[in-house]
Amino acid sequence: MPGLVSSYLPMYLAGSLIGIWITLISMMMSIGIGLLGALGRLSKGGLVRSVVAAYVAVFRGIPPLVLLYVVYFGLPTWAQDLGIRPLADFLAPLNNRIFAAVIAFGINSGAYSTEYIRAAIQSIHVEQMEAAQSLGMSYWLAMRRIILPQAARVAFPPLGNEFITVLKGTSLASVIGVTELMRDAQLAAAATFQNLAAYSLAAIFYVVMVVILQSIVSFVERRLTLVHTTSPS
Amino acid sequence: MPPERGLASSILSLDDVCKRFGETPALDHVCLAVHRGETVAVVGPSGSGKTTLLRCINFLIPYDSGRIYVNGSLIGYREHGGRLVRDSEHNVNAARKRIGMVFQRFNLFPHRTVLGNLLEGPVYVLKISREQARKRAMTALDLVGLTDKVNAYPDQLSGGQQQRVAIARALCMEPELMLFDEVTSALDPELVTEVLSVMRRLAQEGMTMVVVTHEMSFARDVADRVVFMEQGRVIAEQPAREFFERPMTPRIATFLSRLSAR
Repeated sequence: MPGLVSSYLPMYLAGSLIGIWITLISMMMSIGIGLLGALGRLSKGGLVRSVVAAYVAVFRGIPPLVLLYVVYFGLPTWAQDLGIRPLADFLAPLNNRIFAAVIAFGINSGAYSTEYIRAAIQSIHVEQMEAAQSLGMSYWLAMRRIILPQAARVAFPPLGNEFITVLKGTSLASVIGVTELMRDAQLAAAATFQNLAAYSLAAIFYVVMVVILQSIVSFVERRLTLVHTTSPS
Repeated sequence: MPPERGLASSILSLDDVCKRFGETPALDHVCLAVHRGETVAVVGPSGSGKTTLLRCINFLIPYDSGRIYVNGSLIGYREHGGRLVRDSEHNVNAARKRIGMVFQRFNLFPHRTVLGNLLEGPVYVLKISREQARKRAMTALDLVGLTDKVNAYPDQLSGGQQQRVAIARALCMEPELMLFDEVTSALDPELVTEVLSVMRRLAQEGMTMVVVTHEMSFARDVADRVVFMEQGRVIAEQPAREFFERPMTPRIATFLSRLSAR
């Protein structure tokens, strides 16, 4: 084990960084989708509401691994075979493994973020919207100035957990050949035949990353609630 | 602009306003006129439509029929060939700028300081400069006696203080009309006085106020007129003193005696 650790440590660290990088970009996408999705879900437009509901139902239902296969192996070749040039060009970036992983995880996680953010917005009492509107604010101004800042505090803990879920999920990207932590572990195991050591070391890396993330999440969470409670006054 | 309507001197007029929730009439052909500088207390048993009345005036609840005018302009609707057409959100918001509302449960913005609460409307709705808004905020805080709490968060204040901040927040919009929705009902008894004395002061300074309240002594001492509602109808409308000294109906007399027996 010590030999494996010393020779593969830099590789594992690099793999961890790639995993964190994929998670960061995926989560930015996820929260962007989640915010739009939540606002759409709560909007008056029936069509928008149904589209969002369908998105959430479909992408919460697809296992991330399956989605990853569809996005990486499926879509680019499909577009090639169809022979529609603009579509093929549009989907060509998915031939990049990391990009494909980000898209798959982002879309998958976006379905969850939509629900977390929707629930957070709905947890802010209607009276807050009424108070804002009684000052002459439009629905969107009230959303932006009054409701969303309060909802952000409520949504933060579940989104923090989602971040951790996505981080662990990046190990799936090994199957499409992204050289993240899990892939590195596979390579190390294959080269040294020390399966237990190679995969246990990866496990330790994941645990350490999650523990660090968790403490950052809790720290920020405490700071957010320190100034005042989130109860409707 | 809609045509000028209602009595020339009345800043608020309700003309045959109806509102139903399902089968239940919450407002049943309500007519009411409030003059500039006047304080009108609206009293009556719970469920009589008092709160609905206030919420229809600033269109938080759309009324079904009739007309509500604030300073001559129709609220929430446009007249189109003799029929009412729902007005744009923009126009409804424009009307709300001129109507201050204070809620039973304060509804301060918990994520903003007292000053932040007071700046929100003037800066983002009226779009006046932050500096000017700050001056307004300090004047309003001075009036409600809370200049020392300018940087506090709502949750650090007592209920009475929160309600005074809520009044100040409405005042910062420099409204033509203020609506008070049972603003002391959620307060501990010993905190009621501080809120009422702020309202008394506002009334003395000539603010036009419609006050839904269970505080009969406030209605008697501060209001110019008292409106008694029951089952969505205005049953009586009298100068305050008369209302208490010579109740118009036995029902009102019973209502008053029950309250004073508390």
